[in-house]
Amino acid sequence: MDKVKKEYKSDKLHALLWGVFSVGGFIAAFLLPVLIYIDNIAYPLGLWPVANSSLIKIVFMVSLLSTIFVFITIGGSLFHGIFRFKTTLPELGLKRASSLISAVGYIIIAVGLIALAYYLFQLYHGFDPSLFHRII
Amino acid sequence: MTRENAPSKYPEYRKQLGPGWWLSNQRYTLYMIRELTSFFISIYAIIYIYQLSLLASGDFSSYDLFVRNPATIGFSIIALFFTLYHAVTWFSLMGRIQVVKLGPKKTATPLQAIAINLLLLLIVSYAIVYLFILR
Repeated sequence: MDKVKKEYKSDKLHALLWGVFSVGGFIAAFLLPVLIYIDNIAYPLGLWPVANSSLIKIVFMVSLLSTIFVFITIGGSLFHGIFRFKTTLPELGLKRASSLISAVGYIIIAVGLIALAYYLFQLYHGFDPSLFHRII
Repeated sequence: MTRENAPSKYPEYRKQLGPGWWLSNQRYTLYMIRELTSFFISIYAIIYIYQLSLLASGDFSSYDLFVRNPATIGFSIIALFFTLYHAVTWFSLMGRIQVVKLGPKKTATPLQAIAINLLLLLIVSYAIVYLFILR
């Protein structure tokens, strides 16, 4: 009976992780492209809609709504990407190391999510716009 | 240990595949490219967290230098390409899993599902740009 209960718990967790993976897939498909474009292509190259305005980048990062947006987009994409990559590596000849790959994958996800939440919290609460004007 | 990993009392006869098995057939190659989009998505997410750490420390000039570095821009363009490839394959998958009815007998084909979702992607992207930048 105990064995069945353990299997049930393990299967439930397995299904939950695949469910989060699926949500992450939607997030990476619908929200990540625009974030990559704005922050790492349009901003440094001075393209529409940012058009070389550096301050707007910081404003983009410090409202509550944008903080939630960045957390959901980067957190969901990180979970989806690492989860998928750790299941792909065994298919590329690393089947023997699949347990180790899995463990490293979950550690990266956990550390990444904690770091993401920490830095976003710091930015949201401790941002001083005058400091930005003095440096840039 | 899940049920599927439990040891079987019968021996299994599975063909052993080498690391390059996916290069032998175009469909397998496309499948593997689809799976490897996750590598670029993961690395981009990690780079983004690093960028946030630079911003959070107040080191804006380092942030600016890092973001304007041609290597960062080049990787971001590649990451955007693979993210869009992921999006198209994901939309195609959605069309197969969640069948959309277009009439009493007609259902959306995977190609129609891709087209509808690409349109939705454009609307969502513009809404984000409007909400956070243009407004």
